[in-house]
Amino acid sequence: MAEAHTAPDAPALELDRIRRSFGNVLAVDDVSIDVAKGEFVTLLGPSGSGKTSTLRLIGGFEELESGAIKINGARIDHLPAYQRDTATIFQSGALFPHKTVAENIAYGLRMRGIPKAEMPARIKRSLEMVRLGGYEERYPSQLSGGQKQRVALARSMVVQPTILLFDEPLSALDLSLRLQLRSEIRRLHDEIGFSAIYVTHDQGEAMAMSSRVAVMNKGRIEQIDRPDRIFHAPANEFVHTFIGESCCLPIRLADGKAADLAGAPLALRLREDQADGDWRLYLRPARLKLGAQAVQTENRLAARIHFIEFLGDFHRYHLKAGALEFFADQPGDLGHSIGTEIDVGWQSADMRLYR
Amino acid sequence: MLEDAQRETIPPVARRRPDALLLRALALAFMVFIVLYIAIPIMITLTMSFNDASMIRFPILHWSLKWYRDFLGSPQWVDALGNSLIIAIGTMTISTVAGVLAAWVFERYKFPGRSALYLAIMMPLFMPGVVLGLGVAIAFGGLNIGGFAVYGSRGLVMLAHSLWAMPLVFMLMEATFRIIDHRIVEASYDLGGRPLRTFFEIVLPSVSTGIISSALFAFVISLNEFVMALFLTDRDTQTLPVLMWLSLRSAGTPRLAVAAVILASAVFASLVLILLWYIRQLRKTSR
Repeated sequence: MAEAHTAPDAPALELDRIRRSFGNVLAVDDVSIDVAKGEFVTLLGPSGSGKTSTLRLIGGFEELESGAIKINGARIDHLPAYQRDTATIFQSGALFPHKTVAENIAYGLRMRGIPKAEMPARIKRSLEMVRLGGYEERYPSQLSGGQKQRVALARSMVVQPTILLFDEPLSALDLSLRLQLRSEIRRLHDEIGFSAIYVTHDQGEAMAMSSRVAVMNKGRIEQIDRPDRIFHAPANEFVHTFIGESCCLPIRLADGKAADLAGAPLALRLREDQADGDWRLYLRPARLKLGAQAVQTENRLAARIHFIEFLGDFHRYHLKAGALEFFADQPGDLGHSIGTEIDVGWQSADMRLYR
Repeated sequence: MLEDAQRETIPPVARRRPDALLLRALALAFMVFIVLYIAIPIMITLTMSFNDASMIRFPILHWSLKWYRDFLGSPQWVDALGNSLIIAIGTMTISTVAGVLAAWVFERYKFPGRSALYLAIMMPLFMPGVVLGLGVAIAFGGLNIGGFAVYGSRGLVMLAHSLWAMPLVFMLMEATFRIIDHRIVEASYDLGGRPLRTFFEIVLPSVSTGIISSALFAFVISLNEFVMALFLTDRDTQTLPVLMWLSLRSAGTPRLAVAAVILASAVFASLVLILLWYIRQLRKTSR
């Protein structure tokens, strides 16, 4: 599958303003991403945000409307899927049901003309990589969901493509298995250093595995950056609300006084003055301080405890201030009773204002 | 406590309502009737084939394999059986290849006139054999290609039988293709499998049960078909059912029963083959 004109220092994958629509819906709208060699880039977004469509365009399962896709510097968007140096791990695994595990893994090698003598060793090595040594002769129906995904991973990795494409491979598994497999994919990436695009709607997965995360919405990339930057420095309101949990407080500022949108005054003190007008104030519930702890914070709001939920690891305090309702997560029971007036405080870094 | 004790003393039989019992008895009786109704003609024919007498008639005085020997010793009957098998195998091949490919095209591609073509393919299945047989007979009646008379040839009967068998294969395979996971087709492309390779190595094996069953159905349909064969064969190419009908009009010897048993055995063998293949696949792919 080697291309004639490959540049040695070109990125593994380049997407240059690719576009694709289905009917009236622009599924992928001017998306550009470079994936460096060895980089693990995640496409994160709600369903319908165009992340899977983007992946399918790269794999060759959908046709490009405009733009260019390059692998190792050479254009591949005119090539059919079977001539592209990519390998996809599908959501369902998509193992060939009538072939054994070994035959499934051998398939890609055979299609690439690898000598028969080399195969058993490569199959064995790839199965050991995904910790399924000795499973060669099983049929897919004899495997659990997690094992199927491991075989799918081995089947894609064994052909050593320039870029691996992950299409929500863990979304059909239950939570503990998902956590386990995601750290194994991370381990394999650290060991082997493959280049990958990983599609998911699970931000935990995106944060844990990625070199960079591209947050997608309505076919566009809202922000592409390191996971910590995405979390701490969201480029816009969508990224902020999509990543992590946050409460939205719609407020009105006028003449240095704050009120809710109905006009009832709020006892809100912000460290830095904001321009007059309507704002959406976003707070991270886990970062809020209550009562005495609020004294040392930079911003403050007086609220009343509406009710308290016990959620295992923490207590969720549901609060009311004027017409605003929000909540604060506290590690323990603070001993406050319902109806108590309480100070809520937070640092400026944990707050975002949009209008 | 008291309530619990009371409930336990009620015997389980009393909870069965009499009307439920009646319904069960009726269902059982009906089932027995249907099974007998299916089995009786076959059993009588089977019994009759071992009759030593020269007429199909009860009571059977002597048992023998005489008529089996007679059947196998008669070139006319053996030829008819041969014709039936050749035509059935030919029909099976034509209609399976055509039906599977047509079903794949329908499942895989969208094209204009799709529904109209679907209707056209399925139409012959609902046509009376007389109509189809007559139509083919008229159309190919005097046709000669390079000195070869098309009319009366086995090939023409195969094509005629495929008018019924192919839509059946098509219908079964369309349903089968619809339930295969299209991701495995994509996975094959993804790993470098070209379309033709993918079709033969990934698509066909994963629908093998459907293909084997529909092929054997096509075989059975052709083996059983009588009316079209009557219209389209001559003395040299006539099939077993045709010869049976002709000989029934002259003499009802137990040879007819033998022919019937042989025909039924071929059908039965086909069904057993389908079942065996199904079990084999089930063992391979079931969880």
